[in-house]
Formats: sequence, C-alpha cells, structure tokens
Amino acid sequence: MALLELEEVSKSYRTDGVTVEALRGVSLEVDAGEFVALVGRSGCGKTTLLNLAGAMDQPTAGEVRIAGVSTRRLNDAALARLRRTSVGFVFQSFQLLGTLTAVENVELPLLVAGQAGARRAALERLDWVGLADLANRYPHQLSGGQMQRVAIARALAASPRLILADEPTGNLDSATAESIVGLLGRIASEQGAAVLMATHSQEAAAACHRLIRLRDGRIEAIEETGRR
Amino acid sequence: MKARALLFYRLLVRPMLAEPLRTALTLLAVALGVGVVVAIESAGRAAAGSFRSSLETVAGEADYEITAAGGLPEELLAKLARLPVPISLAPRVEGSGRLAATGTPVRLVGMDLIAEGGRAPVRGQELFEALREPHSIWCGRAVATQPGQTIRLVIHDVAREYTVRGLIEGAGLDSTLILDIGAAQEALRKPGRLDRIEVRLPESASPKVEARLREALPEGVLLRPAGARTEENRKMLAAFRWNLRVLSYIALIVGAFLIYNTIAISVLRRRAEIGLLRALGATRGQVGAAFLAESALFGALGAALGLLAGRLMAEGALRLMASTVDTLYATSSPAPLSFDAAIIGLAFAVGLLVAVASALAPAIEAARVAPVEALARGRYHWERRLAVRRNLVGTLALASAAGLASLGPPLGGKPVLGYLAAVLLIAAMALAMPALIDAVARLNLARLAGVETLIALRGLRASLGRSAVLAGALATAAAMVIAVGILIGSFRETVSLWLEQQLAADFYLQPEAATGAERDATLDPALAAELARLDEIAEVERFRAYDISFNGLPAYLAAVETDLARRWGKLRFLGGQDREAILERLGTGNYAIASEPFASKHGLRPGDILRLPLAGRAAEFELLGIYTDYSNERGYIVVDRDVLLGYLPDPAPTSLALYLQAGADRTSARAAIERACAGREVRLISNAELREEALRIFDRTFAITWALEAIALSVAVIGMAGALLALVIDRRRELALLRFLGAAGTQIRRLLVGEAAALGLLALVAGSALGLLLALILIFVINKQSFGWTIQLHWPAGLLAAALGLVYLATLLAALYPARLAQRLNPIEVIHEE
Ligand SMILES: Nc1ncnc2c1ncn2[C@@H]1O[C@H](COP(=O)(O)OP(=O)(O)O)[C@@H](O)[C@H]1O
Ligand SMILES: [Mg+2]
Repeated sequence: MALLELEEVSKSYRTDGVTVEALRGVSLEVDAGEFVALVGRSGCGKTTLLNLAGAMDQPTAGEVRIAGVSTRRLNDAALARLRRTSVGFVFQSFQLLGTLTAVENVELPLLVAGQAGARRAALERLDWVGLADLANRYPHQLSGGQMQRVAIARALAASPRLILADEPTGNLDSATAESIVGLLGRIASEQGAAVLMATHSQEAAAACHRLIRLRDGRIEAIEETGRR
Repeated sequence: MKARALLFYRLLVRPMLAEPLRTALTLLAVALGVGVVVAIESAGRAAAGSFRSSLETVAGEADYEITAAGGLPEELLAKLARLPVPISLAPRVEGSGRLAATGTPVRLVGMDLIAEGGRAPVRGQELFEALREPHSIWCGRAVATQPGQTIRLVIHDVAREYTVRGLIEGAGLDSTLILDIGAAQEALRKPGRLDRIEVRLPESASPKVEARLREALPEGVLLRPAGARTEENRKMLAAFRWNLRVLSYIALIVGAFLIYNTIAISVLRRRAEIGLLRALGATRGQVGAAFLAESALFGALGAALGLLAGRLMAEGALRLMASTVDTLYATSSPAPLSFDAAIIGLAFAVGLLVAVASALAPAIEAARVAPVEALARGRYHWERRLAVRRNLVGTLALASAAGLASLGPPLGGKPVLGYLAAVLLIAAMALAMPALIDAVARLNLARLAGVETLIALRGLRASLGRSAVLAGALATAAAMVIAVGILIGSFRETVSLWLEQQLAADFYLQPEAATGAERDATLDPALAAELARLDEIAEVERFRAYDISFNGLPAYLAAVETDLARRWGKLRFLGGQDREAILERLGTGNYAIASEPFASKHGLRPGDILRLPLAGRAAEFELLGIYTDYSNERGYIVVDRDVLLGYLPDPAPTSLALYLQAGADRTSARAAIERACAGREVRLISNAELREEALRIFDRTFAITWALEAIALSVAVIGMAGALLALVIDRRRELALLRFLGAAGTQIRRLLVGEAAALGLLALVAGSALGLLLALILIFVINKQSFGWTIQLHWPAGLLAAALGLVYLATLLAALYPARLAQRLNPIEVIHEE
C-alpha cells in the first residue's frame, strides 16, 4: 500500500462569483522511501495539491488517503491530529517564528502534540540537519539555508512518514539549494519517509526519483529519473 | 499540560514581553477599570456598613423595637412591663449633638444604665458613683481617649460640660455617647418621652408572645424587627450606591474595548503564525483557547493590579461618599474599608469576565484561520472586511431597541431598562463607527488638510476594524463625560434656580447641633418670639421637622406655618396645581403636601391618604399636592404647624426663617439677631450663604461622579496610546517605504499625529451625538426612576467644550510618543529586517 494516495482528486475555489478549478481529477501514489518532485508553471495547482496531500484542506471531489487513512470522513480536529502524527511541512519562506530560537522552533510540533521530552528530540533533529551548534540562535541570526534546515528539522520533529515541501529552494542560491534538496533526499533514503516536493528548479527535480508534471490542474506526465 | 504552558509562554507571553510599553498600557487600562469597581464597591460597603452603628449595637441584639414618630410616652414602658409575658424591655432616648471643640457630629444614646447593668457596655461598681453625678457620659474613641476627660457638647442650641467616665468599644460606636436615660431626657428636651423601646424575647418564646405584645400596644405605635432602621437607611442608600456602582463600570466598559483591540491586533498579526500552528496539527479549539487565555491573563493581572489601585482609590472614594451620606442620608461614621474574599473575588470575576467576553470575537476569528494560510503567498489582507451596510442595519435595530427600553418602567425599583437603553445605544454607536470612518476617509481632503492627512485618513480606512474599535472606545468615554456633564449641569442649574426662588427669607437660624441629615436638634421655643420683637424683623417663620419612617423608608415629617408660607413662600406644585387653593386648605385640618422625591418613591398622588403613627396615636392626612423640592432625597410630608402640635405638642422649631422689614440694613440686622441669640449655640445663615452652602454640598456630592468620568477618559486615552504604538509597529514597513520615497521624518510624525487627530475628532463627534442621547436617558429615565427628581434640561456649554477640548488634547498627547517612535525608525533596518 502506498503511503500517500490521491484518487480522482479535484479542487475548485470560488472567489467573487468565479470558480477556479485548481485541480481536476488527479490520481497519484507516493510510496515510503520515495522522493517525488512536483513541477509545472506557477498557478498549475502544486500548492493546492500539497495542501490536500497534507490534510490541510478537503478536496471538492475524490479521495486522499494518508497511510491508508482517508481524509474524507475526518472532522477538523481529526485532520489536525493526522497532520500532527503523519505529516511534516517545509515552506518556501521557511515560516520560522522570529521570537523563538532554532531549537524552540523545532520543538513546536511536539509541544502542539503535548509530547514530553521535546527538547531532546528537537536537538537530535537539529543534529541530523547539521545545525547542533546553532540551536540557540534566533532566525534573524541565521542564513537562508540554515533557516530552511531548521524548518526541515521541524518537519521531522514528530517523525512523520510523509514530508511535503512547497518550493523549499525558491528563496535560496543554487549551492545552498542543492544541499537542501540533498537533505530532503536523505529523509527518503535514510528515514524511509515519502517526500513530495513542489519545485520550479530543474536541478532540484533532477535529484528526485520520480517527477510529476502538472498543467492546469491535471497530471501531464509522470517521468522516472532513474535515480533510485 | 506542561507542553501547553510552554507553548503558551513562548507564543503569547513572550511577544507580550517584547512590547513592554504596550502591554503595560493595556494592563494599566484593565487595572484602572477593575480598580474603580473595587474602590466604589468597598467604599460603598463601608459607607453603608456604618449605619449599623450606634443605634443598634449599644447593648447587643434586640428582637423587636417599638417606636412612633415624635416619640413614645414613658407610661407605655410601665404598661408593657406589667404584661404577663416573659420579655425584657430596654428604653432608649436618642439624639444628635456636636463636640463643641471640633464640631464633629456625635450620636447620643440614653439608656437605663442600672436596669440594663448586665448588658450595657457600662457596668461595675463605679457606675453607681458616676450616676450620682448628672453629667457623666461613656463614649467611643472618636469623642475622648481617656476616662476622666471633660468634654463640651452642644445639644440642640445649648453647650454643656460632661465628664467621661469610661470608654465604650465596638464597631461603629466611635462617635457614640451613652448617658443615663434621665440625663438624656433632660439634655435632649424630651421629658417623659422615649424614642424607642427595645424588646428581647427569650429563646423559647412562642409566637403567642409577640401576638400578646402587639395587642397591648396602642394604635399609633410601631412594632418592628430590630435593625429595621438600619435596613431602612440601607434601602434608601441603595439607589445612590447602585448608580455609583453602574458609573464605576464605565471605565471597565471602555477597558473592554481596549482588551478587544489588543487581542484583535494580536490575532491579526499572527495570522501566518496561526496558520502554521494549524498546519503543525493544532486544533481550532487549541487556537481559540490560546487567545482567550491570553486575554484572561490580561484580565487576571489587571485584576491583581486593580485590587491595589482600588485599595488606594477606595480611601478617596469613601471620604467623598461618607460626606455625601452624612449630608444627604444619615449621620454615620464609616466602617473600616475591608478587602475581604468577596472584594477580591469581585475584582477577579469582573477582570476575567470582561477580558474573556471582549476577547471572544477575536478568539473565534483566530480559530477560523485555515491551516492553508501558512502556505499562502505574499501578504494577505489582514483586516477583516467589515460588512459596513449590515452594521448600519444593526445600528438602527439597536437604536430602536434602546428607544423602546427607555420607555419601560423601573424593574424592582431600579432603572434597569434605562441602563439597558444606554448600553444598547453605545453598542449602536460602536457598530456605526466603521461606516462613519469609511465615509469620512473617502472625502477628498488633500487640498484642505495636506497630503499627510490624506494618507492618514486612508490608513485609518485600510485598518477599519482596528480604528473603529479605538474610535468606539474614545467615543464611549467622551459620550459618558458629555452625558454626565449635561446631567450634572442641568441638575445644578435646576437646583440653583429652585434655591433662588425657594429661599425667600433673609436669614435662617439653626441649632448648632443640627446635622446634615437628621432633624432632631431644635431651637429654644422662646427664641422665635424674642426675635420677632426686634425692630429690624418683619416676620419669623417656624419650621419643625421630625425623622420618621414611612413604608419602610426614612422620611421627614414637617410642620409649617401655613399662613406665612402663603404670604412669603414660593412653593411650586407639580402638574400645574393651584398653589393658593392647596395652601388655603392645608391650614384647615388633616391635610398634607409632599415633596416630589417622597411622592415618587412611594407612588403617591393627590387625594391619597397618608397614615402616620404619631406619638401613640394614629393620624391620617389627605395628600393635597406634590411640590418640587431638591433639598433631599428622603422627601418631606408637610402639614400645618397647629395641626401637628395637636398630635406632637413640642413647640420647639427645627429652624427659623427670618424676614427683615423692608429697607432694614442687613449688617445691623445681623448684629441685632446675634445679640438676641447670645448665650445660645445657634447658626445664623444669610440667604446667600445658605444658597452657596447648598451648591457646595451639591458639588461635593457629584465630585465622585466626575472622578469616575475622569478615570474612564484616562483609560480611553491610555488605550489610544497603546493602539497607536501597535499601529507604528505594524506599519513600520509602510512608513519606512515612505521614507525611501522621500518623506521627511517630521512628515512621518505628522502622519501619525494626523491619524490620531482624525480618529479623535471622529470619536468626539460620534461621542457628542451619543452623549446627548445618553444625557436624555440619564435625566428623564435613570435619574427619575432612581431618585425621583424632575430636572430641567440645561446645556453646560462651556463645561462641555472644555471637557471635549481636554479629551482632544489628551488624544494628541497620546499620539506624541508613538509618532516620535515612527519618526526615529531607521528605514534601512526596517526594509532589510527579513
Ligand atoms: N484560496 C484560493 N482562492 C482562490 N483561488 C485560489 C486559491 N488558492 C489557489 N487558487 C487558484 O488556484 C490555482 C492553483 O493555485 P496554486 O495551487 O497555488 O498553484 P501553484 O502553487 O502551482 O502556483 C491558481 O489559479 C490560483 O489562483
Ligand atoms: Mg505554489
């Protein structure tokens, strides 16, 4: 069974009387240990797809299953619980809280889940992304690449089996971007998580196992990169 | 649990600490709001607690008391003592006096010290020796500090020396004097009369005992539970306290706007953060609860600080209240202020309640933030789009509801619907505020007021939700000030006109022992005749008043010389009744007229029959008319002097009104009167002095009201400063950008001050409109239902203009620091912050 399954998923938004079809009948599967890229031009529906895959929102039609659990019949609180235990997010603009130190940012999901021993787990994750020394720095004392590493450590904090990254290298120079993509790849290979990354960058996409091309809310093509 | 606390600390408390000034301002606003409530409540309790003083605690608790207006004949005691029922009886003779040295009012209680030996606070061997000397007293600590001291007391219009034989202890007994009953009768000019008889029943007494006692009493005598007098005084004070209490909540209401604003800003700023937390798995409930908790923290800390502030303010409040109670209600010595569990509970209850209630809307808004907002590109539109038109419909609905409520009757004797109408009007104004700001901001004022003002106005419009709340808080405070200003101004003018018209005599004469509220001190009956013989004097009018209780409330029963009142006085009757006709009948028998507060308190109309127990006889008087009177809230029943003397044959007057011969010189007349009064302790007051004194008392009575208004306004201005500070912080990017575009620092400062100026002006305009409506409700609904006065509407224009000017100035001052902060922002740092 695939870790993430989308079955005929559609999503439409209504604003000011106009309906926008962001996704139209998308089906795909991502397995544990797989690193998949989501590409396509701006507005094609990447972020919408990640939101649905991450149990952040409900599809208009179709079904999303995370680790075999369908999001369809879950209420808001159950969706929140599902995100807490199974999903980790990485954002383009990092979304670190400026008033918290690096390690406190990493602790955040654990505290939200009410878990004990958050500090030790957070330090382990920071160590894993190579930032053990900078644990007590505030975000504004870190470089962009370091901030994104902290964000990745935060996504890993609760040991989720699905990692979703929305243009994680969009704000970074190419050398830094490469190391961030490498880190995401290691999450799939070393920790066996399913990693789905939306990106604009050819290099980033090329580092993945598989590549899904989106166009106008539909899957245009799925390509194997041969890098498994 | 620990994780929650840590999360709460990191996400909500830390940002609060990062903006210490703004946090402190919000806390200060809550603390002031809670403090005022605490101060008024505890001061009110202390002031009311004092009634339970000398009268009832002298010899412990009795079960019943027997009284009658004008006192009881002594024989009644002997008659009751012969009843074959197991009761114990304790006679009391009471009156007021003053310490000659300081003028401090004291309460005199005469009791049968020998018979009550065991129970009286005075006992022992030396009692008998002391009793052999006629001028022995026992007194509380405010009167003397040591046995053996000699004090000079003014009783009625006579000063005498007394020797202190011992001190008495007990709550509320500080300014009480005890003397033997015979000495009291003699000094208080009540030979053969008692004021009360206290009755104690044995524990096991059957209801039959009470029935037997009731049977034995003559018709014009009252048997009532002991403590009824205290209850009556408290009841009378209730309206006064209730209204003060309501006024004390104004600052808190203004504070509620500010808490709402603080939490709403907190939510607005954190939308991305909230979205992130939701993406990380926080539930709606957790998010909503976090913001309620943030607000509750403000409420709890504010309440704690408010207790301290309240403690300080209570001292002042009690002083002001006690002097009002003394002059208008009953002589009292306030009980000590106590900050017990009930007051602490009140502080935290109102603090938390107001905090949580005002944070409800922003907390719900926070809970509604979707997790996808964390992923949204760019900056979303922070400010909620306000449904301006729907709000206007709401405004109309609320205003109509207010109109309906203002027409309603009092509930349980309290103007509950009147207050409801006021609150509804405030809510209506708050709802109309966004539309008002929107409309004004759309006007093209650039040419008129410069580009800074234009940008400032657009800024207000862009953050409509936020600026509307601020303007609402300020408008509410301003409206309250205006409304109360109009009420007090109108009342004062009404009273002043009334005094001018009412006080017809040239001089008034009172016994020195007279106090503000009691009417039991009298003048030597011979004095009136002596003064009438003076060449300068045309007429001497005798006025007599008794403290009575009517339908469970204290009142005055007064006697006037009807023919003189017809000739000199200028009573005005309500409902256009014919004064001449009424006064003509008044002198002819058992008829009465009543003052307006008395009639409205007891729901009386002309033609009603008043039944009064008078010195052991039941008397009935037909009410002929109701006259306007602003001298006190208890109210008067007025009958003819000769008619009343038929029931209560004490000729001593309470006061004299002296009319001079036409053309007589005032100075020499005064000297002649003073010579005639030599050796008597009396107070001679000229017409002008009496009027001044009355207005001074009036002003003192309302001093506390002004203080409450001032505090509410300060809270609004504090909130203004805090909110402008937040505005500078949130718009620092925009402000920095303006600098990059070539704006000078001073222009940025003007922008901020311009925004505050525009907001302040809007708030004042809205507040004035609201204030006028509130004033009408205060004068014609709330005051009328609480106190029964008819007040003519007057506009204290100068006062209002000054108050509004002051508010406006304060608003601008509140903007100065945030504006300086904005001016000093380093644009380079700000733009590169992220
Ligand atoms: N909350 C929303 N409301 C309305 N339209 C939206 C919303 N989110 C996305 N869209 C629209 O849906 C389409 C897909 O958007 P998105 O998934 O963000 O694309 P991408 O991430 O690939 O750039 C776009 O046309 C976008 O304008
Ligand atoms: Mg996107």
